Amino acid sequence: MRKRIALLMAAVCSLAMLTGCGGEGGNDTQEPQQGTTGSPVFNGELERNVTIQVLENDTAIAQGYFDELIAAFNEAYADYGITAVDANMDQYLDLANDGPYGYGPDVLYQANDVIMKYVEGKHVYPLPVEQLECYEQIPDAAWQAYTAEIDGKSYVCGVPVNVQAGMLYYRKDLLPENWETRWDDNGNNIPDMLETWNDMYEFSLERHAENPSQYGYMKSLDDMYFSSGFLFSYGGYIFGDNNTDPSDIGLAAGDAEKGAWVLSQLAGAMNEECIDDTVTTSQYSKLADGSYFATITTPDVYTTFLDEMVLAYEKEGLTEEEAEEKAKENLVMTTLPKLPESGDLTETNPKLIDTKSMGGINGYAISAYTKYPNACLAFVDFATSYERMVERNQFLGVAPAREDAAKEAGGISELLYQNLESGNIVLMPSISQVGQIWTPGRTFFIDLAMDAFRPENEKKYTDLESLDAALEKVSKEIYDAIFTLQ
Amino acid sequence: MKEKGKRFADCVRRSSWKVRLSAVVMGGGQFLYGRYFKGLLYFLTEIMILTYFILRGGADIAGFFTLGTVKGDAWLGTKGDNSVIMMLMGIFAWIVIGVWIILYIANLKDVWRSQRLEEAGRPQPKFREELSQLLDRKFYVTVLALPVIGVCVFNILPIVFMILIAFTNYGGTVVPPELVDWVGFSNFSKLVTLSQFAPTFFRILGWNLLWAAASTALNYFAGLGLALLLNKDCVKGKAFWRAFPILAYAIPGFITLVAFKFMFSYGGPINQIITSSGGTAIGFLGLDAKWTARLIGLLVNCWISVPSIMLLATGYLSNRDMSLYEAARIDGASPFQQFRKLTLPFMLFSTMPVLLGQFIGNFNNFGIFYFLRGGLYVDGYFLASDTDLLINWLYNLSIDNNYYCIGAAISLVIFLITSVLSLSVYVKSPSYREEDTYQ
Repeated sequence: MRKRIALLMAAVCSLAMLTGCGGEGGNDTQEPQQGTTGSPVFNGELERNVTIQVLENDTAIAQGYFDELIAAFNEAYADYGITAVDANMDQYLDLANDGPYGYGPDVLYQANDVIMKYVEGKHVYPLPVEQLECYEQIPDAAWQAYTAEIDGKSYVCGVPVNVQAGMLYYRKDLLPENWETRWDDNGNNIPDMLETWNDMYEFSLERHAENPSQYGYMKSLDDMYFSSGFLFSYGGYIFGDNNTDPSDIGLAAGDAEKGAWVLSQLAGAMNEECIDDTVTTSQYSKLADGSYFATITTPDVYTTFLDEMVLAYEKEGLTEEEAEEKAKENLVMTTLPKLPESGDLTETNPKLIDTKSMGGINGYAISAYTKYPNACLAFVDFATSYERMVERNQFLGVAPAREDAAKEAGGISELLYQNLESGNIVLMPSISQVGQIWTPGRTFFIDLAMDAFRPENEKKYTDLESLDAALEKVSKEIYDAIFTLQ
Repeated sequence: MKEKGKRFADCVRRSSWKVRLSAVVMGGGQFLYGRYFKGLLYFLTEIMILTYFILRGGADIAGFFTLGTVKGDAWLGTKGDNSVIMMLMGIFAWIVIGVWIILYIANLKDVWRSQRLEEAGRPQPKFREELSQLLDRKFYVTVLALPVIGVCVFNILPIVFMILIAFTNYGGTVVPPELVDWVGFSNFSKLVTLSQFAPTFFRILGWNLLWAAASTALNYFAGLGLALLLNKDCVKGKAFWRAFPILAYAIPGFITLVAFKFMFSYGGPINQIITSSGGTAIGFLGLDAKWTARLIGLLVNCWISVPSIMLLATGYLSNRDMSLYEAARIDGASPFQQFRKLTLPFMLFSTMPVLLGQFIGNFNNFGIFYFLRGGLYVDGYFLASDTDLLINWLYNLSIDNNYYCIGAAISLVIFLITSVLSLSVYVKSPSYREEDTYQ
C-alpha cells in the first residue's frame, strides 16, 4: 500500500512538474516584469563583436562631438568587440514603418515627443533606467517626459540628455543710462524689467513712446510653444494627468485667462507684427539694430543673435574682434521675468509668481528591433555619463539634464536645470495627440494679439470672462480634433 | 452580348479534347498541336502563377479580407500583421489574378485558333513566326507590355489602395501595429452626418466650386486678354513685354507664394508703406480677412497662371482666319462683337480641354492657400479655415490629424465632383460635339 501511495505521489509530483514546464515555465515571452521598468532583454550579458548603429543629432555630428563620443565608446568597449557607428540616416526617420523590416538605427537621439510617439506602438524598448549611472542625477520631471503608461504599467523608454526651453534675450547696452536709479527699485543691481513683466511692460511703453520705431519686449504671439507658458503660469495645462490624458484639455484651467490677459497687454506694447510670424523671422536683425530691446526664444539660436550683433557693430565701425567682444558682452540670455499674480501688468508692487515655459528634452532611446539590446544600453549608459554630458555641453552649448553636469556647465545650463527641477519648465506632452494642439492654439493666440489692435468697439476680449470663454472654446476645439473622428 | 454568349457556347460544343486540355492545363493543347515552345511558355506561366499563389498569393488574398489577425508587439517579440502591407499585397494578388485570367483567355483563343487551322488543313504557325510578328504586326504588344505592367504596379495599385483606404478605419489611433478593419461606407456617412463635420464639408465645397470657377475664368480671360493685347500691331516691343509674364512663370510657384505672403504680412512692404504714411497695418491675410484673403488668393493665382494661358493663347491666335475679321469689320462689327462672335468661339473650341484641365487644377489647388494662409482654424469650420479648399482640408485631416481614412473619402468625393463636372462640360462643348470639323 505504501509503495502504491508513494508511486501515486511520485506520479502526481511528476505531473505537477510537467504541467509547470508546459505552462508558466515554458512561457518565453519578453514582457517587462512587474516592478521593473526595463524589458527582460536587458539581461546584462553584453553581445560580443557587434556593430550598433546610432542616430545622432545633426549638429552633434557637424560639430564633431559625435565622432569623439563613438571613438571613446569604441575604445572603452574594444575588449567586447562592440563598435558604435553613425547610422547615417535622416533625422526624421520613421521607426514605426522601417523598424519591423530591419531598417532604422539601434540607438536613436530625438526629442521626447518624437521618442514617445514610438512607445504607443512599442517600437522602442522600456529601459532599466535604475541601472544607469545617470539615474540619480536626472530630475523626476525629466524622467517623467519619457514615462508611458501601457496596459496599466509605467515604463521609462528614454534617457534624458539635454533640456530646451524659452529664455529671455536682451541687449545690455540698450538699458537706459539711469537704470540703476530709475529701474532698480529693490537695489539688487538687476534691472527691474528683467525681474518682472510689469516693469518690462512699463519699459516697453516708455521706449516706444520715446522713439516710435523702437520697442521694448517683442515676440510673435502666434507661436504656441512660447505663448502657452503664460497660461501654464496661472494654472493652465495641455493634457490632464501629467500631460498623459488627452480627454482632459486644460488650457482654460485655473486662472489661465490671466495669462491670456498678460499676453494681450504685452501685445498692446508691441505693434501689429506680433500677430503673425514677422517678429520671429526678423528678431535677429531687429535686436541687433536696436529696434527691439528683448525677446524670448530657445538657447540654441544664441549664435545667430550674436552673429547679427557682430555685423551691426562692424557697420558702426568696429573691427571684427572688437565687434565680437562687444556683442558677447551686450547680448545676454537669462531666465524669464516674474508675473503679477493678478495678471495686471499695470499693478504697482504686485505679488509675483514664477513664469513657466514650455520646454522639451532630447534623449536616447533603444529601438525594439535591435539585435543587440545590451550593447545599446551600454552605449546609452556611456553617452549619458558625467564626462560625456559635460563634453556635450562644451561642444554644443546645450543644457545637460544631469544635475552634476549642469552645475559644472554653470550659467544658462544651470538655470535651465533649476527651472526644470522646480517645475517652471513644462515639458511638451509625450503623447501623439500633441500634434493636434498647435493649430487651434495658434489661431487663438493670433486672435488674442489681433484684439489688441482692434478698435475699442470691435474688441472681443474685454474682460477675464471673455478670455476664459475663448480658452474653453480652444480646449473644446482640440478635444473635437482628437476625438470627433475616432 | 447575347451573340458573344452564343459564339462561346458554340466554341465549347465544337472544341476538341486538345482544346479542353488547354482549358485545364494552360499550353497543353498547343503542345499536342505541335506548338511546343508556345505550349511550354503557357504551361510555365501557369506554374509560376500557381507557385506564387501557393507560396504567398493565397495568403495575400485572405489577408486582403481580414487585414490581419495578429497584432504586432515588438516587446513580446511578436511580429504581427501589418494591415496596410496586407492590403497592398492583397491588391497585388488581385492584379495577378487579373493577369492570369487575361492569359488564360489568350491561351484558350490561341488553342481554338490551332483547332480551326487543323480543321482547315492549314499548317500550325511556327514559334519563330509568332515571335517575328511581335516585331511586326503585333509590335504594339511588344512596346506596350512593359508600360502596362508599370501602370498596373505604379498607378493602378496605389490608386486602388487609396480608394480602398476610404472604406477602412485606418488613421487616428488605428495605425500599425494596430490592426485596420473594413468599415464599409461609414467614413462617407461621417462626412455628411457628423454635426461638426457636415457643415464644414458643405461650406468648403461651396467655396471650392466658386473658387474653381472664378479662378479658371479669371485666369483664362486675363491670359487671353494679355495675349490679344500683345498681339496688337500698335504695341511696340512685344517680345520685351512678353518677357515679364514669362519671368513670373519661370519662378517656382511656391517661391512666388511665399513672397506674396511676405508682401501682405504685417511686417511686409505693403504694410510698411501704409504705416509710414500714417495708416494702420492691415491684416490682409489675417484671421478676420475672409474675403480679402480669398481675393488675394484669386489674384496671386492669376499672377502664377496667366502667363501659361497667355503663351497658349498667343499660339492659337496666330492660327485665326484673319479674313473673317476683315469681313466682320466691313460689315461694321465692333471690336467687342468681333471678340464675342469670332475670337471667343474659336478659342473656346481650341482650348476647352485645357480649360477643363485648368478647372481641375484650380479645384485641387493646394498650394495657394496652404502657403498664403495655412495653419489657421476658423470659427464655423472643423479643422479648416474659411479659405481652405477641399484639398487643404484633406491635408489638415490626413496629415495634421492622422485621419487617413477620412482623407481618402474626401479625395474620392473630389474625384467624383471633378470628373462629373469636367465630363459633362466636355461632352457639351464644341470641342467634343464638333470634333469632326477640324478632322
